[in-house]
Amino acid sequence: METTTCKQCTNFFPVPPGADDYEAGKADCVRQKEDEKGKYWLSKPVFENSTHCEAYCAKR
Amino acid sequence: MNDIASAKVLEYKGNTLRFTPENPAEATIPADELHEHLQKPSTARTKRLKERCRWKHASAGEFIEKSVTAGIERMRYLTEAHKASEGQPEAIRRALGLANVLNKSTLVLQEDEFIVGYHAEDPNMFPLYPELSHMAVQDYLRSDYSPQPADEAAAINEYWKPHSLQSKCQPYFDPADLGRMYQVSSMEAPSFASGYNSIVPPYETVLEDGLLARIKLAEKHIAEAQADMSTFPWDGTKGLDNIAKIDNWKAMVIACKAVISWARRQGRLCKIVAENFETDPKRQAELLEIADICQRIPAEPCKGLKDAMQAKFFTFLICHAIERYASGYAQKEDTLLWPYYKASVVDKKFQPMSHMDAVELVEMERLKISEHGAGKSRAYREIFPGSNDLFILTVGGTNAKGEDACNDMTDAILEAAKRIRTAEPSIVFRYSKKNRDKTLRWVFECIRDGLGYPSIKHDEIGTEQMKEYAKFSLNGNGATDEEAHNWVNVLCMSPGIHGRRKTQKTRSEGGGSIFPAKLLEITLNDGYDWSYADMQLGPKTGDLSSLKTFEDVWEAFREQYQYAINLCISTKDVSRYFEQRFLQMPFVSAIDDGCMELGMDACALSEQPNGWHNPITTIVAANSLVAIKKLVFEDKKYTLEQLSQALKANWEGFEEMRVDFKRAPKWGNDDDYADSIITRFYEEIIGGEMRKITNYSGGPVMPTGQAVGLYMEVGSRTGPTPDGRFGGEAADDGGISPYMGTDKKGPTAVLRSVSKVQKNQKGNLLNQRLSVPIMRSKHGFEIWNSYMKTWHDLNIDHVQFNVVSTDEMRAAQREPEKHHDLIVRVSGYSARFVDIPTYGQNTIIARQEQDFSASDLEFLNVEL
Repeated sequence: METTTCKQCTNFFPVPPGADDYEAGKADCVRQKEDEKGKYWLSKPVFENSTHCEAYCAKR
Repeated sequence: MNDIASAKVLEYKGNTLRFTPENPAEATIPADELHEHLQKPSTARTKRLKERCRWKHASAGEFIEKSVTAGIERMRYLTEAHKASEGQPEAIRRALGLANVLNKSTLVLQEDEFIVGYHAEDPNMFPLYPELSHMAVQDYLRSDYSPQPADEAAAINEYWKPHSLQSKCQPYFDPADLGRMYQVSSMEAPSFASGYNSIVPPYETVLEDGLLARIKLAEKHIAEAQADMSTFPWDGTKGLDNIAKIDNWKAMVIACKAVISWARRQGRLCKIVAENFETDPKRQAELLEIADICQRIPAEPCKGLKDAMQAKFFTFLICHAIERYASGYAQKEDTLLWPYYKASVVDKKFQPMSHMDAVELVEMERLKISEHGAGKSRAYREIFPGSNDLFILTVGGTNAKGEDACNDMTDAILEAAKRIRTAEPSIVFRYSKKNRDKTLRWVFECIRDGLGYPSIKHDEIGTEQMKEYAKFSLNGNGATDEEAHNWVNVLCMSPGIHGRRKTQKTRSEGGGSIFPAKLLEITLNDGYDWSYADMQLGPKTGDLSSLKTFEDVWEAFREQYQYAINLCISTKDVSRYFEQRFLQMPFVSAIDDGCMELGMDACALSEQPNGWHNPITTIVAANSLVAIKKLVFEDKKYTLEQLSQALKANWEGFEEMRVDFKRAPKWGNDDDYADSIITRFYEEIIGGEMRKITNYSGGPVMPTGQAVGLYMEVGSRTGPTPDGRFGGEAADDGGISPYMGTDKKGPTAVLRSVSKVQKNQKGNLLNQRLSVPIMRSKHGFEIWNSYMKTWHDLNIDHVQFNVVSTDEMRAAQREPEKHHDLIVRVSGYSARFVDIPTYGQNTIIARQEQDFSASDLEFLNVEL
């Protein structure tokens, strides 16, 4: 079975060069969530080769 | 059913006064639904934000909203860093821990919000602090609020057991003494066990300098210290001091860099959402504006009001929730924000906006605080019913020149509070006769609307207190006479310095409680607690047969009190000893000018001593002493043995006797017999004995009587008392407030009683419940204004008001879903009435509702 990585995910937003926390392959994983109180977004640092995420959503 | 227009008619100075509502539209509003009409958010956005606010209020120790839980990320990343940094200097380990949390934690951005930032990985979560108290975390692990995965959380807590503040402090105390403190019936548990803390962050340096400048300063100091170590000839008696300083400055640099990076990550999140998720162009533009602010702030100095509000909130999150837990929202908000209000609203130089835009910003800030989650122990959730934590900011007063400090930012803060109607954050107003009428009118309107705040503190008393404490400064750098005007309430009641240095950094300087009612109870039982813990709770001070005179009872109480207060303060100072060695706060140190200059950790440096401790249930003890003196030793109607027998039966079978004790003179009626005994009790024992103690900072410790919710909690652990109270009933609701329903001679009699206590007190809470129809009438402001002037002239430290009718509180008990906006003053904080347990609600209803008679108005010299 093919292994999917963060880099292939629609939630993957690379950290721009020059940012304080820039590292090669590092990105923000930004996910939209919603509950009875409303919409919110979460951002977590990830690396492009990370795998096994239940929120994975392939880029089109 | 009454309506609020049904006030009485009063003959006063030859005139017939009719108390018709100031706002004619209120004439037809039933008294039990008034507060449903008072909410007026300034914009559609703040209305929406309030409707979706993620309240984290607790009631009886349980979170009211079911989705609230503890997060795991802070404890996970702090632990990861602690394990990885073994062997490095402790201050640097703490900085690396903060950096790891900030660099790896999940960020949160919510719909509609303009002030951004959160301290846990989900807006329904709050962080935990295993490095403080593993006992407090253990309680969460056993609850429905446990962090997930639970196994990982349990392993983390287990890891911290030997490293926690609790474990480091406990060995220095007799287990029997600690066992007595853990009962929380005569003394509060030590802070090293509860993890409870409070701080006044030096926000000013962040807003004025920016963190990049703080980093430069630290780096300059490091270079100078290293140069000093290479200077010939080496002097080991001085040169070695540089080592700890260099470590502290290095830790400050790590911490500041991590905070800048974290804020910029937050900005990046806003930009990503604007460009990839948001479809509304207006909101997209707003998110890009927030992104720009977070890129610049808190790295650079603030230039406008939006900058300042965001920088302040980031600083709050770090100081109160991420670097370490600390309760409170201590700041002089109007003074702090005025330069930025001026730049944006008055001069329109940067982030131009109107006054009402500023009001909206404050409303949004209040809602951010309202949904802030505090991972404090169960005991503390229980003792602040109806709130998520204690958040109190200060406004008003006088500036360093002694002039009125009120400005248009003060008014914006008060107007926002009135409009949005949230319990948090509470507000303290420093009352001076120099304060402008325009602002006093806003103060009155907030109180009149039933918010319970601002509570009022006497400006000059607080200022003089700062000057007095400055005399004890260990490094000779206490508050100057000018700086003494820069005070805020540290938490609910106690003044402390705000500004760039000399602020309180840890609760060891002040905080913690002692419970005189329980101490009196055990005084009558040779130190034994028969009614609650069934154990020896204090020293043996003599059985009843040895207490032959009132002075014998008095001296036995004094001995119990000395034992307890000594233990309370020594546990705080031992906590501080270990805090500065293992719980350093590099970020807080970096933003304090004193720590930066001296290369010291914030927990270690003390420039302005400010010791205080909190006696709660003093009036139950004091009224009891009055009754004992009168009925046992003067009238000789009963013996101490008979009294003891009746108390141990919880008065059952002794009703006539209980009524006698209940009818004995009580505090708050300007009764010279009661007041002379009680004044002596406050000044000679409660304050006098406490003042003999010297704390870590070299200054005396003074009482700050306030009750939070402990008057209920400790009341339930206190047996029947000689004031006629049944065992388990709530105690007095705070400081110097009369016991519920026993102040029957009107509001000015209360003021006259309270004014008699003048010595050895740092602060004393006075709760007053005022008549709704009178306060909302066309005469309301004039009466209140005269009341305040009289209160000021009587040199009373504090007063706060409930202006809520019994009708409405009863209606809220019947149909809570209709009364979410009903707010009441509990003690040092306000709460949504419907979020308070019924037991607590009833104590508020039971407070004497003070009407104003003609003689009261004459005493106040009201011109109507």
